[in-house]
Amino acid sequence: MSFSEIFAQAPGAIHWLILSSLLFSIGIYGILTRRNAVGILMSTELLLNSASLNFVVFNKFVAPASVDGQIMSLFVIAVAAAEVVVGMAIFVALFKYRKTVDVTQMNLMRN
Amino acid sequence: MTTTVLTGLFYVLAACSVLLALAVVTTRRILRAAVYLMGVLLMSAGFFLLLGAEFLAGVQILVYVGGIVVLLVFAVMLTRSVELLEEEPGIGRKLLAYVVAAGFLIMNVALLATTEFRVLREGALPTNNTAALGRKLLDYGPQGYALPFEVLSILLLAAMIGGIVIARKTGRVEVTGKLEQPGQADADRFGAQTTTIQGS
Repeated sequence: MSFSEIFAQAPGAIHWLILSSLLFSIGIYGILTRRNAVGILMSTELLLNSASLNFVVFNKFVAPASVDGQIMSLFVIAVAAAEVVVGMAIFVALFKYRKTVDVTQMNLMRN
Repeated sequence: MTTTVLTGLFYVLAACSVLLALAVVTTRRILRAAVYLMGVLLMSAGFFLLLGAEFLAGVQILVYVGGIVVLLVFAVMLTRSVELLEEEPGIGRKLLAYVVAAGFLIMNVALLATTEFRVLREGALPTNNTAALGRKLLDYGPQGYALPFEVLSILLLAAMIGGIVIARKTGRVEVTGKLEQPGQADADRFGAQTTTIQGS
């Protein structure tokens, strides 16, 4: 397939899905390597964002007559907002007591 | 011609999005990660436009870029993560993360490549995207989403109240002691006044 042929056809469902799984695995990498809790929250946003992209992609390529996938995506955005509010409140309260948000030092329940 | 332009736009946006997402997870300065995350979310709004979901693109910019990223920046500022440079993760942790992420990606791509996505409900995209979404959200029939919509508003209210309760200043012992100080002074003055009254 030549270079111009790639651009001649519109991206199909598989292109979009590979893009969103790429973003999702980058988010997984972030969750596993970050030490700062706020950084982990940002990686979670990447995951949620790629999931909502997936909903819209399936809406367009599997059931184009309705808008159900877009509504699911709206719900994902609203739940992400709620999640960030609660997460930020927890981290601020945690910082007041422990003076750090490093998740490797959160071993209060280990012993 | 339009298809070529749109496809080119898709690949450009996808490349930008993936690069910015990599920057989000690898940068050691947490505030820069928030800015890169804003870039990723803007690219996603572009994807929504390419997929024909204009209303969702607007909501994405309003809620994600305007609200969530600002909240994340607040969280960075309030936890004093700006000054400290996050140290590089250890080699074992990095290797584990690589293996998990790459394994997920390979498995997912293999699954997607072998699956054929058939169109289940034939038809064109509704011409007025926003109106269709609004009708669907307020429809309380079997195809509508009126109940989830209301549940979601209760969830947002609960999250707001919970956030205020968790993050507010909790009264410590020395703080309440200081607060009671002016009250005692008032009582003394009142007591002094009563004695003067009694004296007269």
